[in-house]
Amino acid sequence: MAWAKQGHEAAFRELVRRYERPIFSLLYRMVRDRALAEDLAQETFIKVLNGIKSYRPEFKFSSWIFKIANNAAIDHLRKKHLDTLSLDGSPSAETPEQMRATSLQLGDLGESPLQQVESRELGTAIEKAISKLRPEYRSCILLRHVEGYSYEEIAESLELPLGTVKTYIHRARNELRVYLEDRRE
Amino acid sequence: MNHPEMHLTTDELELWALGLLGAQRAIHLADCSLCREIAQRERKVILELVQLPHYGPAAGFADRVMAKVKVPTPSGDWEGR
Repeated sequence: MAWAKQGHEAAFRELVRRYERPIFSLLYRMVRDRALAEDLAQETFIKVLNGIKSYRPEFKFSSWIFKIANNAAIDHLRKKHLDTLSLDGSPSAETPEQMRATSLQLGDLGESPLQQVESRELGTAIEKAISKLRPEYRSCILLRHVEGYSYEEIAESLELPLGTVKTYIHRARNELRVYLEDRRE
Repeated sequence: MNHPEMHLTTDELELWALGLLGAQRAIHLADCSLCREIAQRERKVILELVQLPHYGPAAGFADRVMAKVKVPTPSGDWEGR
């Protein structure tokens, strides 16, 4: 980090190399669109690297970059209301016909190669279950169990009280469990 | 630490699922079928999550980022791009 602050291009590249997969993975699971996730990841790194001089070393760099990435995803979801989309149909659908009519179809013949990759990558039961969580729950659970951050680090990163982070993660796990158990029955 | 006879808290259930629960509380788990059942359900979800893969952006991502970043020089100036 000190090298990056001093303006070494190699240090910038090293930061991108180190964080591109975790940041992209978080964004991809948040917005469920590869191209969009890449745009948001790019936006995140540009913001971080161009603002490197304002980085405060008393905070963890990972907390800072995840905060910016998460904000980018949440802002996007709020604008586009993507969080209301459901793979199993609109939340207001009441009959099986309405569910089918409003659902996103995975693996359709008309999918582009990129969409096919997305279907394969995000089509498992657990990925679908994650997509059903509220965005706030989604980012907390991904940071905790996919990225392995502590509750305290997540609270710092997302600027949420520790108790809220714990509540979100516990609720998210309960919702995931119920969804996965329903699918198995 | 919680009393050995108390049921496991949500935090302790998570610690157990991650293999980090202390021996004292693990004894309670061995004796309490209710906690064991809840713990096993929690563990199933946590294991699914921790096994999720990381995905990467398309090749050349770093180059695309670096093309849009102003690299400060050690003297404090910004290198034009």
